[in-house]
Amino acid sequence: MKVTTQNKINEWLAGFLQKSVVIAPVETEGKFVYRQIEEYSQIAWDFERTDMPPKTAVFPMTEPILYIEQGSKTILKNPPLPKNKIVFGVRPCDARSMLALDALFINKEPIDPQYAHHRESVTLIGLSCPQMWDSCFCTVVGGAPNSTDGLDILITKVGDHYAVQTFTEKGTELTDKLISEEKDLAIPKPVLTENLPTLQKSGEWMELFNNIFWEELSQSCISCRACSFVCPTCRCFDVRDELTAFRPGVKEFERLRAWDSCTAAGYRRIAGGHNPRDTQNKRLRNRFYCKFAYYPDDFGPLGCVGCGRCIDACPAGINILEVITRVEQMTEREKVNG
Amino acid sequence: MLEEMNILTNPNLATITGITDLATNIKLVQVQLDDPGVRKNFKYSPGQFAEVSVFGVGESPFGLASSSDRGDTIEFAVNRVGTLTEALFRLDIGDQVGVRGPLGHGFPMEDFKGNNILILGGGIGGAPLRPIIQTIFDHRKDYGKVTILWAARSPDLLVFTNEYDEWRSQPDVALHLTVDKATEGWQHDEGLITALIEKSKPSPENTITVTCGPPIMIKFAMLTLEKMGFQPKQNWVTLEAKMKCGVGKCGRCNMGGVFVCTDGPVFCFEEVKQFLESFV
Repeated sequence: MKVTTQNKINEWLAGFLQKSVVIAPVETEGKFVYRQIEEYSQIAWDFERTDMPPKTAVFPMTEPILYIEQGSKTILKNPPLPKNKIVFGVRPCDARSMLALDALFINKEPIDPQYAHHRESVTLIGLSCPQMWDSCFCTVVGGAPNSTDGLDILITKVGDHYAVQTFTEKGTELTDKLISEEKDLAIPKPVLTENLPTLQKSGEWMELFNNIFWEELSQSCISCRACSFVCPTCRCFDVRDELTAFRPGVKEFERLRAWDSCTAAGYRRIAGGHNPRDTQNKRLRNRFYCKFAYYPDDFGPLGCVGCGRCIDACPAGINILEVITRVEQMTEREKVNG
Repeated sequence: MLEEMNILTNPNLATITGITDLATNIKLVQVQLDDPGVRKNFKYSPGQFAEVSVFGVGESPFGLASSSDRGDTIEFAVNRVGTLTEALFRLDIGDQVGVRGPLGHGFPMEDFKGNNILILGGGIGGAPLRPIIQTIFDHRKDYGKVTILWAARSPDLLVFTNEYDEWRSQPDVALHLTVDKATEGWQHDEGLITALIEKSKPSPENTITVTCGPPIMIKFAMLTLEKMGFQPKQNWVTLEAKMKCGVGKCGRCNMGGVFVCTDGPVFCFEEVKQFLESFV
């Protein structure tokens, strides 16, 4: 087992900081978020789960997709290629979420070149979870606190040392300077939360589409969209033109894409007023169905990695794990009743 | 510079060559793509759409109302109902717009050959059906009897009125009009299109139906056709939805696991019957 120490990790990161963009978890106003850092001392090590996912490294909250200059002629330009980024301290669930996004943006035609460039530009260095935290349910959706899916490197704390595993060429090259020694070290299994429900397959969810449960659940939803904005797999986006510069005879615009959420009241409203998802019930139901039925049916992976951030973020107490549990119960009841 | 292959973000520049009144609050916009190479290769089938940009205002999907077999002028009908369509209404000949496309799946005109065709158009929904009519007329012998039932809320909302005589003059073509509310001098039917369907008693035998219009009209047209013996697989629809990316990435236009922009907007009704509730 290749191992390293805290000091060596710090040196390693310091080395990257001299020539790369490094994004890592930092603590700001009591919350843990991923930010670009200037010094390794900024990194927060004592987080359980960050409040915002590292999704922003490949799918920013807002980003220009087109630059438009309108003068006597109209000139269009694409944004420049993104810089290479090291994303440090990625939890296994968040790494799996990148794979879920890849299934849509890269593996399904047409490829989204901008997302693909971002994806190529990042190196994901994971930090294993020694246990499942409150609200976590990664094991329900095919993940694990020590999952290696989607990571270039995974670092696991074992006593005074850190075990280092690499999974890609990029990862192996980068850990060259990191390793301090080979040690006979057993990585303890992470502590799993017990008594979690079994996720039903998309077919079972579809059977329950018209169940009154969804209407009851959505009574408290206020369409605040917090669930979508903290979610590592949500990817719905809006596109808008914004004026960025104005001088005689010339206007410059940015066409931006920005995070959006299907739970927003006007999400599907077309000009003229027609809105096929005009009630909270239809919208909230769509979000859960997208994650557990539509997304896997269309693209392969589930649209949820069990990070539990939405459970913490929802001001109305709507709990995705409770939803999964209820769906399991309702499905079992159907089977029993025949 | 533009990465040419980026259909997700990169529109082609086009110039407006015509902008004329089609109906009350509806204009027909005609554009030509600026780049000669792009213009030559911009081929589309009836039912496909394009995302049209008014730079600085935004981008919206519009059904292509022309046939690329007939020339390189691209036409689409615009109903003034929102921010972007308001901006389009203020444009003039010579103004530049963006055209991203062609997007979506069009009608399978090859598969329709040999059939009688029943065309149901409601309001501006007639616009994406017009290229079907044009394609059929350009290959008249390949298709059977054509019945066009054209509807609108009132006579001033009927589209392509100046082409009706030409349509009627084609062999084995019947055109019937109906409006919800007639005005003085109206000489055709008054009532919903469902009444007109029942009145014209179309035979389901060897017939394909094609419908476009407001969601509620599609719903009731399908019910009426079913009542008259049409199987869901004989009925084709083209649906509308709020769209942004137009290529199945932004997630917005889903009906269940189906995206209107990439799996449609043209659908065999059999495919989307289960989603009836979600698009009405």
